Amino acid sequence: MKELEKTKRISIAAVLSILLILIALLNYKKPSFLYAQNTSTTLMKMDTTDYLVSPQGLETESYVLVDVRNPFDYEKGHLPEAINIYAPELLSKDHTAQLNEYLQEGKIILLYGRDPHETLPAFMMLCQLDMGPVKILESENYFEKDKLITTYSEVEKPSPDITGFIETSVKKANESKKQAAKRTVAPPPPKKVAPVKKKKKKMPEGGC
Amino acid sequence: MYNRKLAKLLTHSYQILAVILILLAGGLLLLPSYEKHEGIEPESLLANAISPERYISSDELAHKIISGDPSILVIDVRDSERFESYSIPGAINIPLEDILDEENEEYLDQAAYEIVLCSDDNFYADQAWILCNRLGYKNLRVLQGGMQDWFNSVINPPQPDEKMPNSEHELYSFRKSASMFFGVAYEDEVKATPPAPKPSPKPKTVAPVKKKKKKMPEGGC
Repeated sequence: MKELEKTKRISIAAVLSILLILIALLNYKKPSFLYAQNTSTTLMKMDTTDYLVSPQGLETESYVLVDVRNPFDYEKGHLPEAINIYAPELLSKDHTAQLNEYLQEGKIILLYGRDPHETLPAFMMLCQLDMGPVKILESENYFEKDKLITTYSEVEKPSPDITGFIETSVKKANESKKQAAKRTVAPPPPKKVAPVKKKKKKMPEGGC
Repeated sequence: MYNRKLAKLLTHSYQILAVILILLAGGLLLLPSYEKHEGIEPESLLANAISPERYISSDELAHKIISGDPSILVIDVRDSERFESYSIPGAINIPLEDILDEENEEYLDQAAYEIVLCSDDNFYADQAWILCNRLGYKNLRVLQGGMQDWFNSVINPPQPDEKMPNSEHELYSFRKSASMFFGVAYEDEVKATPPAPKPSPKPKTVAPVKKKKKKMPEGGC
């Protein structure tokens, strides 16, 4: 009988611990979004420039345009057939489902915003989640008289030759310094001497 | 009958319990695969990446460099060729593709310096910033507009015209002195710097006193 009591206790303890584990498992919330790419593979992707699409090449491939600007700007004007996903709301179930639908149709997601910089966070997020082919429209979109203007804007346009600029400025300044120095050294213009005509001694003329 | 069955089951109870526990322990092994992703959660990364808090303007950076702020460290993420041609004074070069190398980690993951990332504009610098932010690195900033803005506002500031507000003129005079700090020379400044030519003593103007000539007496009538 004593033996049975012991086993009873042990089995109660075991059942309780199993229950605890089960409760923990049920409470475990799977995070809704997970990175599929780690940082180094993402960096490798960023190292190419394949992800940039210039506005000229828009018609050639089957892109689905995604506007990451805020809904007000989108209402005001947007590229034809673009859908609006405001960048801070990118990680919501509805939006990712919408994007996945397009991706399953074999389309390529093409993000655009006011400029490529505004698009970058959304782009990098989709890259790290590894949703599918995502690209950036290399363009600047701004309003002029309430009309959306899209122009090509190069990403990482090489900065002007700053060393050259500084050197030429120093050279110029030196030259002007020299000139200034010359100007101070230059002999004063010769005085103009107006020859004074000597009056000739006139012989006394005889009076009348 | 019922009791006997129960007793029979109870003799195996240890084995049954052990099997269940082992199975659950096995389940624990599967759990970490969810947690494998490195860095902060996607939601907070997105929020950080969208906020413009990380940007530092060229003027602010120039002011910090000129005043000799010891906590500032500029990291140029362009390739070494462009870095050699020009970079912000005191900058160190870590090309974007090497930004996650182990030897560079000590530069980026620290608390002593305020790191400013820069590139030609802020596109590459932003990429580097987002990756570093995912790894949880703190104290990182991005130079807004990059080297282009640095050139257009600090090195070669546009001259405001007379109609512009006073603040513009103050900004211009700051930028002008900053650019002179970084080696640019101005023609009009140079003219003022050489010792002003000594005011040469004015030649005395001597009014020649006309001597009246003795005229020979002309014969009168």
